Amino acid sequence: MTSTPAIDIRSLRVDYGNFVAVDDLTLSVPPGEVFGLVGPNGAGKTSTFRVLTTLLEPTYGEVILSGVDVLEDVEAARRIIGYMPDLAPVPSDLKVWEFLEFHAAAYHLGSRSQRRERVAECLAEVALTEQRESWCKELSRGQTQRVVLAKTLLHRPSVLILDEPASGLDPLARRDLRQALRKLADAGATVFVSSHILSELAEMCSSLCVMNRGKLLASGTAQEVRDQMGSDVRAIIVCLLDRQQDAATWLKSQKSVHDLRLVDQQILFNFTGSDDDQADLMEGLIRLGARLKSFEEKRSSFEDILVEVAETNRRA
Amino acid sequence: MNSPDSPSLRPPSPNSAWQIWLNPIFLRYCRSRLRPQGLAVSLLISVLFAGFIFFMARGIGEYRADLKAQDAERAAFVPLLVFQAIILFIFGTAQVAGGMTAESDEGVIDYQRLIPMNPLAKVLGYLFGLPVREYAMVLATLPFTAWSVWKGGISASVWVPLYIVFCSSALTYHFTGLVAGTVVKNRRWAFLVSIGLVFCLYTVIPQMARFGLVFFKYLTITPVFQECLPGMLPNTAGTIVATGQRLAPAVKFFNLDFSEMVFTLFSQGGLILTILVMLCRRWRRTESLLLGKLWATGFFIWVQTLLLGNAMPLVDSGKIFPTREFSRVTKIFSGGWAPQSWEAVAMSAAYGFATLVFLFILIRIITPSTDIQIRGWRRARKQGKSSLPPLSDAATAFGFVLVMALAGAGGWFIFTRAVIESRWFPGHEVPLHVWGIFTVAMVSCGLGFHALLEAKGGKVVGLAAIFVGVVPLMLGAILSVSSNRLLPAASWLIAISPASVPIYASATLLSITELPPNVARAVPRAFYFWQAVSVLVTLWLIVQLRITRKAIAQRGVAARPDEP
Repeated sequence: MTSTPAIDIRSLRVDYGNFVAVDDLTLSVPPGEVFGLVGPNGAGKTSTFRVLTTLLEPTYGEVILSGVDVLEDVEAARRIIGYMPDLAPVPSDLKVWEFLEFHAAAYHLGSRSQRRERVAECLAEVALTEQRESWCKELSRGQTQRVVLAKTLLHRPSVLILDEPASGLDPLARRDLRQALRKLADAGATVFVSSHILSELAEMCSSLCVMNRGKLLASGTAQEVRDQMGSDVRAIIVCLLDRQQDAATWLKSQKSVHDLRLVDQQILFNFTGSDDDQADLMEGLIRLGARLKSFEEKRSSFEDILVEVAETNRRA
Repeated sequence: MNSPDSPSLRPPSPNSAWQIWLNPIFLRYCRSRLRPQGLAVSLLISVLFAGFIFFMARGIGEYRADLKAQDAERAAFVPLLVFQAIILFIFGTAQVAGGMTAESDEGVIDYQRLIPMNPLAKVLGYLFGLPVREYAMVLATLPFTAWSVWKGGISASVWVPLYIVFCSSALTYHFTGLVAGTVVKNRRWAFLVSIGLVFCLYTVIPQMARFGLVFFKYLTITPVFQECLPGMLPNTAGTIVATGQRLAPAVKFFNLDFSEMVFTLFSQGGLILTILVMLCRRWRRTESLLLGKLWATGFFIWVQTLLLGNAMPLVDSGKIFPTREFSRVTKIFSGGWAPQSWEAVAMSAAYGFATLVFLFILIRIITPSTDIQIRGWRRARKQGKSSLPPLSDAATAFGFVLVMALAGAGGWFIFTRAVIESRWFPGHEVPLHVWGIFTVAMVSCGLGFHALLEAKGGKVVGLAAIFVGVVPLMLGAILSVSSNRLLPAASWLIAISPASVPIYASATLLSITELPPNVARAVPRAFYFWQAVSVLVTLWLIVQLRITRKAIAQRGVAARPDEP
């Protein structure tokens, strides 16, 4: 059985004059998933989100949310969307409960008592019940993010679009956010979340995609993305109990070994050969008679991948 | 997560946009702007000032001017009205513009865009919500006014129309503030622009009225205030003013007579409706043009009709001429007054200039950018259409600009003819070919500007405005003050600027014109030469526009720009 995707983006393109912010983006996210969109600043994440939330009309392409074409039926789309923008703005002249009450009323969430009840529920969900009477402007960054998340949840949207929700949060708050998003997804909502920190998304998302300069670079599970985007160069650390100098000399003579350094008992180098070449390398070290304590391969981390992407942008 | 019955999937509640007391945006501002502490301070200040004004005016009337008790009570009415106008017109408008900009400044406006309320409800929520404290402040001063009305015996026929127009003026300015706040991105600028607009309405606009553009004064409370003044002043002063006012009876609109109140409401109503349309369009889609093409064309023709309808009945009596007003003010009017010929030329030029500026503003509003055109094509393609709907934002505004330019030229000609062929200038007439030349001038300026904007974009237009519109005027002005011998050269230079076209056209084509001898030859030649150049450039720009639109259509029809 094929279910309708919660988010279906086809050939999306967003131009600002001559600048192409999003270029031919095609994505499909099934319902009940926490899907991450990652990329460096200027990758096109916010433009994509603004199209998804009906705030920006794209130059080309189509966006369908839970079967609703957001470009054709704006009002219907807005009723199923919950949007938390980047930096989570809040009005400076309202208290927390007033801000939420205003949105509850604007979304016509029943009578005054029903609205108050829903506001209390959402505040409890983001652990901010105690801050109910606080002024929005007096909240910490993390608390502000949570208030806006509560606002986003008020009308029980089926598609949550969260732009950089974890930025500025401490580790504890991030863990809480992760759990909250997971809970929402388990309840059937689809969460589309962006960040410029890949490891952060890898922790909270069931699948993700990487964008750069408006283009989609990779998508899939965290491991799949790493495989697709990871560099061919592997960092290898060899720890020997003796004959380090001989081993280093031998390794230097191998054509796939680069940038070799000897630090105490450890030999660090970059390796560009195949898996077979790597196995031969380990066998050669043993044959050399050195006492091999460990042979560790270090794959590119998520941060390395994004740093590489960002540096490519800078060089371009 | 979301069953069909869950609140998020329900369509918006049927609360009408007009039920303002249920409007969440209005209530949100009632909450934030009517907090006890801030409100108490504002009310205290209002009551203190209103009390001071009331007792001072009353005291001066009773003890210093030896007025009768009833007249002394009346004395406070006008100063209180001015105080209320300051609160609502200036502070209220600034609050609306600043508050609207603050919403986008803080970033919360996106939340409001997404909430399921119709655009009209959102506009009304902001309109009445943002200045709610100023409304409360005015309410706090009303007991003093009520006392003055009651004890001073001010008739309801005086204060009712006055306060009706007071409210409609406040609404007009608040609407203007909303537009300023929506368009201007900087909070301080929005504040200044909105206050500047109100200031202009009461200072610059009345000067325009003196040059035949009478309609604009009905955007202010001034005409109704002047009409009601005798009934508000102490009896002796009121009688004098009333005698003076008998010389200036009700508003004439072509052959119809209206009271000042009805005509002011009619004029302000049109503007309010147009601004409402602009705001609703922006709330529906941020990328939308402020006005649709049809509405803009209708609005242009409506303003032309009002300008003509107000001005033409005043020609025969001579009230339209600036020197007549001046003579009245300086009390040298002795029955032997007659308008000067330069006045007639200046009025014709002013009418043409105002029409051209208004035309440019509307062209700027309705001309689609490249992005809007491409998006329009994407939509058309999706709906299986092979062309853009002619009234859509993405469609070219060419035809509508042409209609407006023709209407503008027509209005300009009718006005000029009415002035020149009036009883004041016997023997002078405006032949029909003048209409043809006015049309060429207006159409070439309008279409040239439009074609440049639509084909090349706003930046090129900005540069053209500086180097073709402003620089020749500056250079010409410098030459003209440097030496009399350079006046002909200055005339040629100034004629390059489209802004000078109405002035040159009136000066060249009207038999009544009396130019100094050293420019009398240069002005007509420069006018005809640059008009010919302008027509050729406009034709070239129209060809460019066709090419550009074709290219955009091809890009827009493809699903992606790299598709053939």
